[in-house]
Amino acid sequence: MGLDVNAVFQIAGLGIIVAMLHTVLKMIGKEDYAHWVTLLGFVVALFMVITLLDDLFQKVKGVFLFQN
Amino acid sequence: MMSWFGAIAILSATTIFGFEWAKRVRERPKQLRELKVTLQALEAEIIYGSTPLHEAFQHIGRPLKEPLSSFFLVISDLLEEGELSVQEVWDRQLAVLAQETSFKAGEIEVLRQFGSTLGRHDKEHQQKQIQLTLAHLNREEKEARDIQERYEKMCKSLGVLMGLLIVILLM
Repeated sequence: MGLDVNAVFQIAGLGIIVAMLHTVLKMIGKEDYAHWVTLLGFVVALFMVITLLDDLFQKVKGVFLFQN
Repeated sequence: MMSWFGAIAILSATTIFGFEWAKRVRERPKQLRELKVTLQALEAEIIYGSTPLHEAFQHIGRPLKEPLSSFFLVISDLLEEGELSVQEVWDRQLAVLAQETSFKAGEIEVLRQFGSTLGRHDKEHQQKQIQLTLAHLNREEKEARDIQERYEKMCKSLGVLMGLLIVILLM
């Protein structure tokens, strides 16, 4: 369970940092960069989620299909 | 334990980078103002003192702060040796100055054009050239101050935030 909580915190931290970057960049009038940063943060978070989901599916496969 | 050590190292590195960046942004208007005052002093030396160029450079270079001061003093020394023309010396030292100060290509180009007129005309023409250069530098300074207001804070916070982002991604 320890690893799971760590991943959740990581994604939360990523969200906070990206939100702050977005605000800073928007404040000085570089809105296009701000949007790119947000998009990149979203993609990275998605990758993290996908790795976790992949783990889950592998486990499900291992339990029900007796593989692995 | 080790990963915390690395996290602190990365964070401090990006923070220092951000502050250095902010310092460059902050230094530029200050140095431009100094350069303007220096050019006015040079104008006074030429118009009222009719001083030879290498003496004038020594007079105006001595009270200045470091990068600009050595710029004028080295030019003065090279002129006294008398092997190169003013324009060659000026161009060569300008390349050094461009590396050591926060000046951008705009003001370096203005200074290069000013150097190509230096020591070729009579007093009135020289004064006109100095006024023209001062006008250009005024415009650059205005722009530099505008950039400073907008970017100084951003550079600092961007450095810290980038460090945090990298740390979180690598954790």
